[in-house]
Amino acid sequence: MLKIENLKVKSRDKEILKGIDLEIKEGEVQAVLGPNASGKSTLAQAIMGNPKYRVSGGKMLFEGKDISKLGMEKRAKLGLALSWQNPPAVKGLKMSQLLEKISKRKDLKIKETEALLNREVNLDFSGGEKKMSELLQIISLNPKLVIFDELDSGLDVKRIELASKLIKKEILGKNPKTAVLIITHSGSILNFLKPSIANVIVGGRIICRSNDYKKTFQDIKKYGYEKCKHCKLSSN
Amino acid sequence: MKSANTANFLQIDHRVEKINQPKGTIILPSPKAWEDFAWLRKIVKTKPKEGYFIWVKEQGDSPLASCVTIASRKVNQQLTNILVVEKNIQARANVLCNAKEKNLEGSHKAKGVLIIKQGASLEYTHIHKWGLKDFVNPDYEFFLEKDSKLIYNYQNLLPPKKLDLVNAVHCQENASANINLVVNGLNSKVSIKEDLLLEGKDSQAVLKLRLVGKKKSNIEARSRVVASAPSKGHLDCQGLLVDKDSRIVLSPEIVCENRLAQITHEASIGRISEEELNYLMMRGLSENEAIDLIVGGFLTI
Repeated sequence: MLKIENLKVKSRDKEILKGIDLEIKEGEVQAVLGPNASGKSTLAQAIMGNPKYRVSGGKMLFEGKDISKLGMEKRAKLGLALSWQNPPAVKGLKMSQLLEKISKRKDLKIKETEALLNREVNLDFSGGEKKMSELLQIISLNPKLVIFDELDSGLDVKRIELASKLIKKEILGKNPKTAVLIITHSGSILNFLKPSIANVIVGGRIICRSNDYKKTFQDIKKYGYEKCKHCKLSSN
Repeated sequence: MKSANTANFLQIDHRVEKINQPKGTIILPSPKAWEDFAWLRKIVKTKPKEGYFIWVKEQGDSPLASCVTIASRKVNQQLTNILVVEKNIQARANVLCNAKEKNLEGSHKAKGVLIIKQGASLEYTHIHKWGLKDFVNPDYEFFLEKDSKLIYNYQNLLPPKKLDLVNAVHCQENASANINLVVNGLNSKVSIKEDLLLEGKDSQAVLKLRLVGKKKSNIEARSRVVASAPSKGHLDCQGLLVDKDSRIVLSPEIVCENRLAQITHEASIGRISEEELNYLMMRGLSENEAIDLIVGGFLTI
């Protein structure tokens, strides 16, 4: 569904992604793990076409089409969606108004997010509310591929479980072909969504790709990310 | 106001098309009221040419609605609008002034006198929708007697070519005024002069001003609070400059003539946040759709 080849991305003339290769198939759940400032969010924003991040090399193909030069709204219309790590507030704009504009699911009702509808988008939201706001918007878009950027950061276990349940029910349950890319630093969400592949990104490069996310995560917890460079799992 | 059909007063060009008086309220064309009421002649010195007179004498259930429209080419309206709310009455009024089409080249000048008597309150929502070549000059004076309240919401999302908006609000003892002015400049020259005059002890006034400069607009807003009694006043003026060819000037002015008064102001002019724009565009909205949502949000008070 999404194929990234040798992607290089710069921000303010500094190269952040230094040649990323990544392929996500239909219905696949993959994870990207990495330390702070390793390029995780840059990868997410670059896939979505944020002009702040300039692609200086490589290719991004979505359903066979080169999207490297497409605008953000066109990528969204093709079915790509990103749940932001730190979404901005849009003062004066109510969640319900935004959903009315963007939602492809007009009948959408999610009990856990109802209290947000009458509030201004992300304004004075708690960390947990921001994540639920993102999730609600993503669900409403009915995407083909979703990137969750640190959905689990700042959430307690119960909230992570709730968010995971919603992803399973409202995204994967509605369309099992939807692909999901989970970007996480803490890894807390992985046990709920059980990715089939875990990628480790360090210094703007994916240095490990494993089909045993549990083992990968355990090793990271034990040895830290630097050890990943020499880990045997990376050959899996 | 849902439509002109529900209006209590409807004027098209220079013709009064409809007057519908609810119980306890007198509604007349202002020239007729001027002839009928001697007290009015003391307040309005010269005989009005046209406009509405609304005198709320008894408590009503529904908001009053007034509509003044320009429907023909090159009409020059010179209105005098008067609204009086009697003691201890709580009134609401929705007023629409508009041009029916975009290119009528009309002129709408309106002198307004609004009197809110002791203990009364008025929520006055004033919507303007104009054509691309109209000239509009509302010049309103509000008199708030002791213990009265005013909420004045002025919204102009479809501005004329030139808008001169002038308001003066006089607050007597313990009167309070909340003034919310919203103007979306679209290829317009806009001048706003707002005076909040805190004349009575414990009076209060807050002005919120939201201005958007878009499509070669030139907006100048001078807002002033003058405290001559122990009172409180605040100015909150914000501008949003959407394109590089527009200009906004905000001049908040606070004048304190009483050492027990407390008056404050804040003013800022910003641009569309790139992060907000990217965020909305990643939801599948075009740049223009995203800007419209951000601007709409900014103009929501």
